[in-house]
Amino acid sequence: MNKRILLLLVLLIVAGLGAAAWPYARARLAGLLSPEGEATSTDSSSATQTGLRAVTLWFADVSGDSLISEVRELPEQDGVHERLAQLVDALVSGPQRRGVGVLPAGTSLLHAYLDDRGLLTLDLSRPFQQGFHGGSRAEDLVTGSLLRTIGSNLPEVKQVLVVCGGSPIASLGGHLPLDQPIDPHSVP
Amino acid sequence: MSARTVALAAGLLLSIAASRTVSAAPVPAGAPVAVVENVDGVPCLGAGELSRLLDGVQYWHAETRKLVIRIQGHRLTLTDGVPIALLDDQTLRLDAPVRSRGGELQVPLSLLPLLPHDSTGVRLIVEPSGTRVRVAPAEGWVGAPRIANDGDATTVTLATQHPALARVISREREHFRVWLPGSASSGVPDSLPPESRLRALRRLPSAQGVLWEFALRPGTTGFRLTNPAGQGAVTLEFGAGPGLQRLAPEGPAGPRTLRMIVIDPGHGGDDAGVTVSGTLEKDLTLSLSRMLASELQHRLGARVLLTRDDDRNVDQPQRAEIANRARADLVLSLHFDGAARTHAHGATAWCPPLDAGGGGAAAQLLVPWRDVASRWAGASRSLADAVTASLETHGLGPARVRERLPLALVGVNAPGISLECATLTSADDLARVASPEGLHDLAGAIADGLIAWARHE
Repeated sequence: MNKRILLLLVLLIVAGLGAAAWPYARARLAGLLSPEGEATSTDSSSATQTGLRAVTLWFADVSGDSLISEVRELPEQDGVHERLAQLVDALVSGPQRRGVGVLPAGTSLLHAYLDDRGLLTLDLSRPFQQGFHGGSRAEDLVTGSLLRTIGSNLPEVKQVLVVCGGSPIASLGGHLPLDQPIDPHSVP
Repeated sequence: MSARTVALAAGLLLSIAASRTVSAAPVPAGAPVAVVENVDGVPCLGAGELSRLLDGVQYWHAETRKLVIRIQGHRLTLTDGVPIALLDDQTLRLDAPVRSRGGELQVPLSLLPLLPHDSTGVRLIVEPSGTRVRVAPAEGWVGAPRIANDGDATTVTLATQHPALARVISREREHFRVWLPGSASSGVPDSLPPESRLRALRRLPSAQGVLWEFALRPGTTGFRLTNPAGQGAVTLEFGAGPGLQRLAPEGPAGPRTLRMIVIDPGHGGDDAGVTVSGTLEKDLTLSLSRMLASELQHRLGARVLLTRDDDRNVDQPQRAEIANRARADLVLSLHFDGAARTHAHGATAWCPPLDAGGGGAAAQLLVPWRDVASRWAGASRSLADAVTASLETHGLGPARVRERLPLALVGVNAPGISLECATLTSADDLARVASPEGLHDLAGAIADGLIAWARHE
């Protein structure tokens, strides 16, 4: 009987140690198994993968009235372009738990430029505008999802100007202006 | 059998007959009520009245002095002189015995909360006055405001079954309005506490739910709505301290001049807007604009100009130019919303943000022409509140206000809002506005809101 209890205790200790070490081992595995440059299809010479980074993604609540957040671990990227491309891709893929993805399918990051005053110019692919169908609320949710995600994960970004296919856009769907930079931290 | 027992049995038989007569008919509209009896200091309800309100049928067993009431699949057993009731096989403990008075059993009110609340039966509630019991409406009920002073603040507590659905729909100091789903279970309080921040309160007619309006004393600058789910009440705090949401900014009192109103039917031409099941947003906005123009000309005597009166594309700078050239006193851009993959429904009024510039004493000296509508942010916000309050009152909600400059007001030098009148991706909203009658009701509700804003009482 005593031997059984001892064996059970040993098994519990081993399991506890394994659970504690798992996040470290997973981060190491992710860093070792991902080939260099696989994180993005664009030029990523400045990107290095050292592990996983927790990011906060914002999706629409099913009520359509607000945004809800989802924390997810993504491979760590050093370059601003790579980090933004990764966030945009994750938003397009949609939530893994609650909520609704609202970025139009096919949206991807073409270019990103962050100046020394914190103004980020975000050039998205044409489907961002062409694939949008909705009213003011949907438009607000799309811009809110995008800007709040940027604000949550790139604190160095003070303002965001969204352009599409290399050209400025007056609005996503004709309801809310997008012609001026927006403070991502002011999005409700 | 004693004479008293005979009298009791006869009385009960009479009440049984009465209850059967009543139970044969459907429960009348308007929430039937019964008077509370005081039996030796215990508030009670007569068994006959209890049965009538519950739409039940009574059976009296004289030998055991038990009364059985059959209610929608349940069996409630009451015994004379016993502080216990049986509900099916469940024992319910009462705070006093069931008593016989005047040939009828009197049941302590402590039974009411213990009755089944499933979908098959009605629910009985005691009015705040404690003198009457009434059937709670199926959509829920809202209690009378309980008002108390808490230091410098005044709190208003409203009992409700759905606290999470409570909404503030107007933040004006003289017309602060909160909406709750359900029916009112009582009237307006007789008096207000001295030194209260409330000057007056009243219940406004509302097609759905209960709409309370509070007039707040000068010096009150903010409010806080606390409506946790499951608490059975919402609390409104009015005060002047930090941490409260601001009331709407106040402009000069008195009626507003509305000589020229510009209505902007959204989309048009090759821009159909939101399209759902063959219904095009551009067609709805044009039809609604024509109806609203007619309504406003008739009721206000104002000149009304449409930025487009046919199916053509007009770009935003042209629309703004039309409004500015006409020297509009008010610009109303009409749209219908759509948000696929969500359960979004109802209306939204978009207005320039108050923080962006104008709206009072802190008006900016220099405003980029693009943002000139922000000079009118205060008036636009109160316009949005007035129109959404009217939509709610007409049962066309939920209606919310968002402070973000809409594209339709870019370069517009006048008070205005962009109104998403309903959400076409919601089946209920679509069915409502797809008919001419539905659009006509909508036009009437919007006109009421504009007129209320113009009166500026």
